[in-house]
Amino acid sequence: MADTLPHVAGAPVGVGTPVTRKEDDRLLRGDGRFTDDVRPADALHMAVGRCPFPHARIAHLDTSAAERLDGVRHILVGADVVAATSVISPLRPTPGTPDLPYYALAPEVCVYEGHAFVSVAATSRHIAEDAIDLVEVEWEPLPHVTDTLAALAPEATVLHPAQLDSNLLSTNPMGPGADAELAAADVIVEDVFRVNRVTGLPMEPRAVVAEWRPGARRLTVHCATQVPHLVRMQLAETLHLDEGEVRVIASDVGGGYGLKLGAYPEDVLACLHSMRLVRPVKWAEDRQEHFRATTHARESVHRFRIAATQTGRILAITDTYAADLGGQYSSFGPAQLSSYTYPGPYRVTAGHVERQVVVTNKTPIGAYRGYGQPEVNFARERLMDRLAREVGIDPLEVRLMNLLTPEELPFTNLSGAIYDSGDYPRCLRMAADAVDYSGHRVRGTVRPDGRRTGIGFSSFIERTGYPSAKFLADRRSRYGTHESLTLRANRTGGIDLFTGVSTMGQGSETTIAQVCAQVHGVDFARITVHAGDTGASPLNTGGFSSRTMIAAAGAVRIAASELRAKTLRIAAYRLAVDPEDLTIDGQVVRLRDDPACAISLAEVHEAAIFGRGIPDEEDPGLEATAHYEPPAAAFAFGSAAAVVTVDPETGDFDVDRFVFVHDSGTVVNPLIVEGQVRGALAQGFGAALGEELRYDRDTGQLVSGSMLDYFAPTAADLPEWELLHTEVASPVTPFGVRGVGETGTIPPAAAIANAICDALSDMNLDITSLPITPESVWRAIAAASAGEGMS
Amino acid sequence: MKPAPFEYVKAVSVADAVALLTEHRGDARLLAGGQSLVPMLNMRLLRPSVVIDVNGLADALGEIALQGDAVAVGALVRYAEIERSSLVAERVPLLRHVVAYIGDRQVRNRGTVGGAVAHADPTGEIALVTLALGAIMRAEGPDGVRDIHAEAFFLGPYTTALAPDEMLTHVIFPPAAPAFRFFERGRKHNDFAVLSLAVVGRPEPDGTWRDIRIALGGVHDRPVLAAAAARALEGRRWDDALVRDAALLALEDCDPPDDFRASAEYRRHLVPVHVRRMLSALAGGHE
Ligand SMILES: Cc1cc2nc3c(=O)[nH]c(=O)nc-3n(C[C@H](O)[C@H](O)[C@H](O)COP(=O)(O)OP(=O)(O)OC[C@H]3O[C@@H](n4cnc5c(N)ncnc54)[C@H](O)[C@@H]3O)c2cc1C
Repeated sequence: MADTLPHVAGAPVGVGTPVTRKEDDRLLRGDGRFTDDVRPADALHMAVGRCPFPHARIAHLDTSAAERLDGVRHILVGADVVAATSVISPLRPTPGTPDLPYYALAPEVCVYEGHAFVSVAATSRHIAEDAIDLVEVEWEPLPHVTDTLAALAPEATVLHPAQLDSNLLSTNPMGPGADAELAAADVIVEDVFRVNRVTGLPMEPRAVVAEWRPGARRLTVHCATQVPHLVRMQLAETLHLDEGEVRVIASDVGGGYGLKLGAYPEDVLACLHSMRLVRPVKWAEDRQEHFRATTHARESVHRFRIAATQTGRILAITDTYAADLGGQYSSFGPAQLSSYTYPGPYRVTAGHVERQVVVTNKTPIGAYRGYGQPEVNFARERLMDRLAREVGIDPLEVRLMNLLTPEELPFTNLSGAIYDSGDYPRCLRMAADAVDYSGHRVRGTVRPDGRRTGIGFSSFIERTGYPSAKFLADRRSRYGTHESLTLRANRTGGIDLFTGVSTMGQGSETTIAQVCAQVHGVDFARITVHAGDTGASPLNTGGFSSRTMIAAAGAVRIAASELRAKTLRIAAYRLAVDPEDLTIDGQVVRLRDDPACAISLAEVHEAAIFGRGIPDEEDPGLEATAHYEPPAAAFAFGSAAAVVTVDPETGDFDVDRFVFVHDSGTVVNPLIVEGQVRGALAQGFGAALGEELRYDRDTGQLVSGSMLDYFAPTAADLPEWELLHTEVASPVTPFGVRGVGETGTIPPAAAIANAICDALSDMNLDITSLPITPESVWRAIAAASAGEGMS
Repeated sequence: MKPAPFEYVKAVSVADAVALLTEHRGDARLLAGGQSLVPMLNMRLLRPSVVIDVNGLADALGEIALQGDAVAVGALVRYAEIERSSLVAERVPLLRHVVAYIGDRQVRNRGTVGGAVAHADPTGEIALVTLALGAIMRAEGPDGVRDIHAEAFFLGPYTTALAPDEMLTHVIFPPAAPAFRFFERGRKHNDFAVLSLAVVGRPEPDGTWRDIRIALGGVHDRPVLAAAAARALEGRRWDDALVRDAALLALEDCDPPDDFRASAEYRRHLVPVHVRRMLSALAGGHE
């Protein structure tokens, strides 16, 4: 993608054009409108009191001193919330889970440090926080458990005794099984892989501004969310309102990554305060509470296993994993895609997977870019290298031998996921060539300064989009897989495009408009996108699961074709020609063969909107709404290669090179694809090498819950990635696109771990937990040397 | 993350600041660059009833000046001014060198030398350099001015020899040995150090080394001098064995903490490794 030529101003924009984003101008000028920029003159400000213990009963709560503080207007405690609302319903529960009482404030027992138990609306945020300080609570600390596996032990305290008799929330086994293959295997490699708890760290934490107008019975909620229509549904249910009474607006969102997927307790609380006070109420999450109040992700323990022949051919893959839920359900709950993608891009026909969802005294887990796929990729790709070592075949060869070939696709994997198309081995070979892997094998790993250099690979697939609405319905998910769009012609000759997909940096205002321009013919610059307002957009699904482009491209294609056809009919009538001979060219409709015979779009639009000068059989108006459900998920794929130099004395290491080869199908905008890949790689590197939300086992406190201790990488911490790609059109999506938002998060951990192990291959060390830090490498070296000494 | 209520006062002179500190003894805080104080106020970790803004005292405390052959750095000198000062570059190059390791550009534009030293973060680069170079802290209190040697200044984490009613006015760097090496390892770029280390010495024409000081950060409850290691090297010609043994002695003067950034065990492992490497680099004239 480095060879992408800049788009020339004025040239037509369509699918494939590297045009800069429509969003950029307002964002770069500081003219974006984020929720915190919504400043009603008479707004009150909300602050939330949070439990300082991992598990505690509220023995006594007294808010009278807080109420007396000058400027305090309203205080809510758990009992108020229970009386006024229903529980917040999860959007994507793991199958088989009982409902946990997910109220906006803990009624009686708090189950994690940061669990909200009181909220205050006051004339300023300062005063609201002062009031929280004045709330008198008598806490009765209860026994807690923060470690995922320890929570499953029989002696562990049960966190939700009314619903569960242990901390195991659900067990979801899947797959044909592998008894025969395991028995017949020459080699079995297996280990326990621990994946760290991390978070997506959007630049904009969450925020909400709620305003209730009782006379109009309208609740308007500005909210930093990826899914305004789903939040509207959840708020209406929780607050016992008609959906028609709730309008949710997410104009600019400063990053979502899965964290802003659905209603949160604070959204409900701001609404409750506003409905009581009949004043707008604002809450803007600060970074300190963000680390506790917004969902965490990824934490899981995988018991992963690969069975193979002596020649390195995979016979079966199994994974039994415990996925941490935290203390409570969130809108999305723990990642579910590990169970669908654990076999990866390989030819695997036997195996099984089992997910165990575990309740612990920690912040609830939710969706995060990658959603289960980075986790299994780390385990599986580490074991591919172990397999290679066991059978004495090069790791590159073992992968190439087992990768599905283009001829074998479509291929249905162990969990029923259908890989649609692509050339998996080609991507791996491109990565190997780019890092001169054969040269490395000849040169060896030892460098003159005593350090060692290794190369590691990581091959992956990524499910983008969903298989079908039925697939989701079978799993009690509360949304569909379609996207919906409205196109409306305006009198100045442009098109207003309405979408419920909010703008969070993914560039969908631009890419959807590109498809619209291509199909319709109107100038890209004349398309005005209105995103994220449930009062204006058709009822859609939202921006997540690498699905927007796949579904929205279909919807915009239908709507734009419809609008184009009517535009041509009206223009033909006015020009007295055949619509078949006309085309739309930027700002005019003209004869294909005679550009001089033309009529402006503005004139056609006005005729249609006023209903004057149009054919008798045409209805007035020029507007189209379309809904599109993709027939299947598309699988993105690729391979990464990392070149890493390690200092064996200290465990310090540098990622010298990182080559990422991927295929996201037809590229709608190369600049945006590259931006998505780089952003996801940054988060992939962060989670692999630094980020960790760690809880102290004894105190149950989050010890890394601030920017001081959460080591998200800066640009200075990241290597220069080399991006290569292939472009195989997917046969199952409009234009052949595949999703691209998440792939970069998947391969980094395994590629880097494999490179470190390759660099120190004579020491036979192993890396099975994340993040990989100089200290963890040093410990792995020490463990390997100790093992050496013993044997 | 909004501070608890406090009274804000702007000091008009050092004497005024000291008077205010005396008046509110123990319950007032000076505000310099605010890069440590303001976050602590916002997190309500500190709740002083009075905040005394000393940013108006730049005329008196914002200068970098020669005092005889020493360089006096006013307490209100910002990191960014250290980076730009030719006097510092010429006379105290180590001080200038370490500033690049502190925070980011925004932090360096606001943060002050006085604030850094008074804050006494065990990983702070400026504190480390004051030890490595044998600097003198000049403080003014109700009873007048006094000088405190760096070695006697840092008493523990975020704890110094300053009395609650004393204000730091200058950090004075006397002439020091010319050769130095600095090393720092953090969990990410410009993060607080897991370990930081400055070695300073004077190569003599006869091949021996004099005036050796080895300062360590991040591996004790305050920045420390590895005195035993320095003694072992003082006045001698260095070979690999001597350097290796001296580096091991550095562990005698520190008791590394166990925290989220690194375990005590790992820090103990790193101390002699990096002391050895920096000493070798110093002796070999390479990085
Ligand atoms: C993002 C970020 C990254 C950072 N990274 C680093 C880093 O890598 N290394 C590092 O060393 N520091 C780092 N810091 C801290 C920074 O260097 C602070 O600026 C410094 O520690 C304090 O200086 P200040 O002028 O901002 O002091 P303030 O925050 O204003 O004050 C700090 C304390 O010192 C007291 N004080 C200030 N001036 C005086 C005085 N003249 N006499 C007596 N007491 C005084 C104050 O009352 C207060 O208690 C970082 C800070 C931030 C926000």
